[in-house]
Amino acid sequence: MDRRTAIQNLALVIGGAVLLPRCSKSNPSAHFKHFDITFDQQTLITDIAEVIIPKTNTPGATDLNLYGFVMKMVDECTKKKDQEAFLKGMAEFEDVPKKMFSKPFAECNKKEKEDVLKSFEKKDNSYSKELQAFYQTVKGLTVFGYTESKYFMTKEIVYELVPGRYNAWYPVKNGKAVAKNG
Amino acid sequence: MSTNTYDAIVIGSGISGGWAAKELTQKGLKTIMLERGRNIEHVKDYVNANKAPWEFEHRGGRTQKMIHDYPVLKRDYPLNETNLDYWVDEKESPYVEVKRFDWFRGYHVGGRSLMWGRQSYRWHDTDFEANLKDGIGTDWPIRYKDLEQWYTYVEGFAGISGNKDNVPILPNGNFMPPMEMNCVEKDVAERFNKFYKEHNRYMIIGRTANITKPLPGRTNCQYRNKCWLGCPFGAYFSTQSSTLPAAVATGNLTVRPWSIVTKILYDKDTKKAKGVEVLDAETNKTYEYYAKIVFVNASALNSAWVLMNSATDIWPDGLGSSSGELGHNLMDHHLGVGAGGVIEGYEDKYYFGRRANGIYIPRFRNLNGEKRDYIRGFGYQGGGGRDEWGRSIPEMSIGGAFKDALSEPGQWTFGMGGFGETLPYHENRAYLDKDKKDKWGLPVLAIDATCKDNELKMRIDMANDAKEMLEAAGVKNVHTFTSEPVLGRGIHEMGTARMGRDPKTSVLNEWNQVWDAKNVFVTDGAAMASTACQNPSLTYMALTARAANHAVEELKKGNI
Repeated sequence: MDRRTAIQNLALVIGGAVLLPRCSKSNPSAHFKHFDITFDQQTLITDIAEVIIPKTNTPGATDLNLYGFVMKMVDECTKKKDQEAFLKGMAEFEDVPKKMFSKPFAECNKKEKEDVLKSFEKKDNSYSKELQAFYQTVKGLTVFGYTESKYFMTKEIVYELVPGRYNAWYPVKNGKAVAKNG
Repeated sequence: MSTNTYDAIVIGSGISGGWAAKELTQKGLKTIMLERGRNIEHVKDYVNANKAPWEFEHRGGRTQKMIHDYPVLKRDYPLNETNLDYWVDEKESPYVEVKRFDWFRGYHVGGRSLMWGRQSYRWHDTDFEANLKDGIGTDWPIRYKDLEQWYTYVEGFAGISGNKDNVPILPNGNFMPPMEMNCVEKDVAERFNKFYKEHNRYMIIGRTANITKPLPGRTNCQYRNKCWLGCPFGAYFSTQSSTLPAAVATGNLTVRPWSIVTKILYDKDTKKAKGVEVLDAETNKTYEYYAKIVFVNASALNSAWVLMNSATDIWPDGLGSSSGELGHNLMDHHLGVGAGGVIEGYEDKYYFGRRANGIYIPRFRNLNGEKRDYIRGFGYQGGGGRDEWGRSIPEMSIGGAFKDALSEPGQWTFGMGGFGETLPYHENRAYLDKDKKDKWGLPVLAIDATCKDNELKMRIDMANDAKEMLEAAGVKNVHTFTSEPVLGRGIHEMGTARMGRDPKTSVLNEWNQVWDAKNVFVTDGAAMASTACQNPSLTYMALTARAANHAVEELKKGNI
């Protein structure tokens, strides 16, 4: 093991790559089973997830470590072809804030970040297939990770491991779903 | 008496094997149940049964590694991380698909009784008479009256919840109280049943082997909808929850896991089986076990495999092959066709608890003189439910308001899919491929079976009728769905050693005895001469209990 790898591994061990000093794009900061990504890219995905599911008076994507879930799913549950599209799309992503606001996503304010992501929600956008795939993957997995999180299932809705009963007609209270059916 | 000698041998420990073991041991026979896979101990080995959804690494999904390792199982819903251990290792136990055939297997104590769908419906005389009337396959050697008391018996012990709906084509059973339809299903069913009152079409609550009242050693269903993980409450029928403890309690049962039965030992002088040869899957050592009777309950295809490997010095194609039908007439239910739509309103209503059951629409086609451009029919399973999260509103696609909307209940939906009868075709078959071997050096099955014209025509009605009926019952925006007509994916393999009236055209007689060896009984899906469209396991249970009773009577009389 060379020294650089050793330091990287150590950094991962002591609490995640976010502790690493900022490194260049040619210097991968997070190793997954099937690819590496840079520190900037980690930050990008974390930021996108937080814009989709922001911290309000309840926890957001960062609080719930949805970044970790998104990357686990991309790494382990996604076809190689789709991983490649994801990585290619991710590499293209910074062009969007640059074109819209002449700065990288990380330097955009909250409103600007939202505008960047909303541009993907427009049906007639002209983004490449890969760029679209990247955004939709991050969004889909962020939402999936959120609605399958312990926080969501126990605090936002009701999840009982052993319901013990079937109530065929149950009032909806406060506009909230009362139960997860899965 | 040698330690390898018993009164009875049961090959396989799934739904029918468990029943055979229970019946034979309770009638006083020292019985050994041979299971090719590992043991799974009730409750203790249901390792994922008490996990919350968020405790699964991929939230219940499938990894690329799983998809790579399970090229067959990946084709449908069973492949996921929650009960992967219950499915066969496909690398160890391959088979050959001459044509695509989805074979989903469970090689362990309990077999697929741990993962089955639990829907339990009696057959009707229409089903038993169908082959004779249509001049297809072989006539069933039994009728409803032969099986009726056995249905009542197995329903009472297994615990089937259901409603006595008095549907002419679907006999009532010996039921526990039914599960309840949710508020939307009740209204849809009411409209449906009113609209089709004169047409003999009924929407009823599913009849399921989930108990709604306690049975000895078993707690009533807790509405977890996690049956396929194994139930810590024993609330659904499985070998482990139901027949195995009863058999063990007699003191007459020995269970031997890791025991691949390679052949039935046939004695040509007595024209009977004297026992079986077993390959220990862990040690690769060979053993012989001897008994007066042998029950073959390895599931339709593997029961045929055991027979094909047996007595080949007398019949090159195996024990029971003298008719030329062993391994032939392979059937399944064809499915993956139906319709779904949305229900307007009910915004202030929901339901609570996860009910592992749905609605059922019994067969209505080609009855009462109707003649479609195909024969037989299909039933539907489905249900209504409420989507889990908010409607997708474009301007609310990200951010705080979007996050809040995710916890709101969504649209009510209603959908159903058909289960279609598949006809027995001689050319739909499985046979030994001696060039390909499994991990233990044993020849594997090659499977060559397809849906044909009758099934394909039926599938058109399966889609259109679903749409028409849902619309009549007030479901909106109804769309149909269809899929490739593939056999196997119904996981209802049947017919490979069919019952009949004539040894020239069938493998088994009216008591499930192999014509060529009367002390060998095959009582799983292999025995079926036709499939009807009802889920078949309840009928295997009834056939098994009936055959076991007959076997013991014949033993006592000295006839076998």
